[in-house]
Amino acid sequence: MSLETSAILRVDGLVKQFGGFRALDGVSFSLAAGEVLGLVGPNGSGKTTCINVISGLYRPDDGEIYFDKRPIGGLASYRLVHAGINRTFQVPRPFPTLTVRENVEIAIAYGRRHDGSVDADALLAQVDLAVFRNQPATELNSAQQKMLDLARALATGPRLLLIDELAAGLNPSELDRIAGKLRELARSGIALLVVEHLMGFIDQLTDRIIVMNAGKEIFEGALAQAVKNSHVVEVFLGGEDAA
Amino acid sequence: MPKMLHHVTLILLPVVAAFAILPTVYSNHLLLFNFMIFIMLAQGVNVIYGFTGYLPFGYVGFFGAGAYGFSLMVIHLQASPLVALAAGAAAAVVLGLTLTPLFRLSGAYFSIANLAAALAVFQVVSNPNLESLTKGPYGISLSGVFDPTFAYGATLAILGATLGLVIYLRNSRFGMALQAIREDSISAGMAGINVVRERIIAWLLSALIAGLAGSVFAWYVSVFYPETVFSGEFTIFAIVFALFGGNGTVIGPILGVVILYGIYNAVGISTPQYFQLIYGALIMLLVLFLPNGLVSLLRQWGINVP
Amino acid sequence: MLVYSLLAGLLFGLYFSLIGLGLNLVFGVMRIVNLAHGDFLMLGAFLAFWLFTLISLNPIPAIFIVFVVFAIVGLPLYYLLVPRLLRAKDPEMLSFILFFGLSQVIEALATIAFGTSERSIPGGELGRAIVAVASLLTGHHVENGPVDIFGQTFPAAWVASGIASGIAVLLVYVYLYRTRLGYLTRAVMVHREEAIATGINVHRVSAIAFGIGLGLASVAGVFAPFMLGSITPAMGVEVTVTSFTVIVIGSLGKPLGTLLGGIIYGVSYMFMQSYYSSWANLLPYVLLVAILLVRPSGLLGRQVRRA
Repeated sequence: MSLETSAILRVDGLVKQFGGFRALDGVSFSLAAGEVLGLVGPNGSGKTTCINVISGLYRPDDGEIYFDKRPIGGLASYRLVHAGINRTFQVPRPFPTLTVRENVEIAIAYGRRHDGSVDADALLAQVDLAVFRNQPATELNSAQQKMLDLARALATGPRLLLIDELAAGLNPSELDRIAGKLRELARSGIALLVVEHLMGFIDQLTDRIIVMNAGKEIFEGALAQAVKNSHVVEVFLGGEDAA
Repeated sequence: MPKMLHHVTLILLPVVAAFAILPTVYSNHLLLFNFMIFIMLAQGVNVIYGFTGYLPFGYVGFFGAGAYGFSLMVIHLQASPLVALAAGAAAAVVLGLTLTPLFRLSGAYFSIANLAAALAVFQVVSNPNLESLTKGPYGISLSGVFDPTFAYGATLAILGATLGLVIYLRNSRFGMALQAIREDSISAGMAGINVVRERIIAWLLSALIAGLAGSVFAWYVSVFYPETVFSGEFTIFAIVFALFGGNGTVIGPILGVVILYGIYNAVGISTPQYFQLIYGALIMLLVLFLPNGLVSLLRQWGINVP
Repeated sequence: MLVYSLLAGLLFGLYFSLIGLGLNLVFGVMRIVNLAHGDFLMLGAFLAFWLFTLISLNPIPAIFIVFVVFAIVGLPLYYLLVPRLLRAKDPEMLSFILFFGLSQVIEALATIAFGTSERSIPGGELGRAIVAVASLLTGHHVENGPVDIFGQTFPAAWVASGIASGIAVLLVYVYLYRTRLGYLTRAVMVHREEAIATGINVHRVSAIAFGIGLGLASVAGVFAPFMLGSITPAMGVEVTVTSFTVIVIGSLGKPLGTLLGGIIYGVSYMFMQSYYSSWANLLPYVLLVAILLVRPSGLLGRQVRRA
């Protein structure tokens, strides 16, 4: 596992435990700008915890996280957002009493520090939600709320985007469109860490993947190699759907 | 911002004007004064609960701090009333700053801790050992600055400022951020909002409002005991009025005060237990059936409330 | 003075544990803050007072009647209020406000029914019951009057309260750790969703726990005239804050924690009374805030509630 010197994100020996339970047990990897890294594994393997720690929701118990060579472990979420990190949520969390547009506006107003302002409507158009701009966020269906979540994350101008199980509940054409958008974001230089269950989505999207189990990495490399790895196959025999 | 101006003319000016004119036709000025005080306190609760979701069960602590800040300035430094008002407000804000660690606690714990803190302040202020400083349990008497007319005028100004502040919160991005924090503080963090700092600002603003209310109360009545200005009734009424009217809006607390405090003065003063029964039952019914207050009912009927 | 403070603190500590026990049980099982807890204590006190005044019933047997009455009241009250509450978006805050409303209703009704004057029961009454029991157990006549422990003299009422509180804590422990219902209760306390998934009738378990919680509060109320002085309808609030302090010091959801919390609180209170009596009233409030900020999970650890 070579340490990318041009890595925008480097995670080193990350540990997170809850009571006696080690959700993350010494995770290390790195990610370069414009690269798409997939994070897969059975339920409870620590994928979402990994995102939660990197995005500031939890404080790591041990290990370090470097963003642009600066240590960021333990910083509050808003500081990470200002530095250029953002994420989507597995179950979207829009602000219920704000409109769709206001949800994006507030992220632009408070989250965008490093470059000029961007138009809320333009962002909404990017995720095909422009027509809903004045409706309360709660009136969107779940797929639309996921898109709003993505727009909110993009509104803060991130250079690293952590995607938490975006694919669930989307139909194939929506999946294609989203995968296309995410690849576009990667081409524009944003690093993507994509946590996913749906292998087909991962296949379309990622350059390499990391397989996790019980808080540890058990494989890193191409998806094609992963499916041939006996340990990986064994770990997944609890039943994830390979699309 | 045009919307703010709209709300100012629609709400702020009529309310302040009403309280400015009513004394000329209605002789019970103390009652009018109390109405203004409760509107301020309910708005103060609104700022912290409606906009950040924390319920200040010890809110009267700021009111009392304001009253004593004002009084001590007058007694020990012979300050003029306006200077003393500023001192009372400052005292409340300082107390608020001291209590900011409480925000590490969630929901009910914060409320109880806040209540305990207010009770502690009361115990300290009314302790006979501190008689030389605070006059202990024997109460304050400010004969020198007694000037109900001037005090009433100051109250009008403070009322206007309070309403102005809430209108600002309702229409500004800062207010939107507070609402976001209230609804989902984690999501708010990921929108780049410094949750801790914004919450503290709202808290201190809320403390400021109560502090000013307490200061001007001390000025207006000029004679009071510690129990008067640290009475849990101020907190309870302010919370009930704000809950009843509905939080997160400008109109809600005003409605709550006008209706409930109005009822209180019409029927409840002589039999406080019956009023207590009514608002106790009212709170329970509200929580079970209308947790967002009157304004949520109005919203259901399609009326968009400022 | 030191030994006296320590022993008195122990007796009062046991009593404060009893006060906190019901609140802890309810919070542990349903995550609901029963702000009306102190008011149920007050109602228990008044019931005991009326039983004594009207039919000369000694407080000790009154305990059983009081417990049963309020435990039974708790069941329909639970079903009326709680299930609806738990479906809301922010059940903790809403329950806080709801039970605050209930506390106001109870206080108002009590004031209307009983008036605001203070009531009390002569301390000798508790003494007489103890004496009767002691005489029965030891076979010869025991004198009523103050009790000597390690050379310090205490009112018999205090000793009786301390013993009764200790027994109550023991009974709760036995209930939780030695009965099937208690086992189910603990399952719900640890993980409510999982308990539902395993088919436990969570509402029934919670309702019974709620009833027991109210029953415990009312039993503590029976001793209130002796331990806290005279009783009035407005005494509920301070008692609730004290209970909160006790359970926060100990730890949420553990009866042993409440026992520890109660004793620590009782001893601290006695020491304050003996040495810094003019500032003693500050103790519960300062202690509560300090613990919540320094070690919110209490001395026995676990359930932390941080924003």
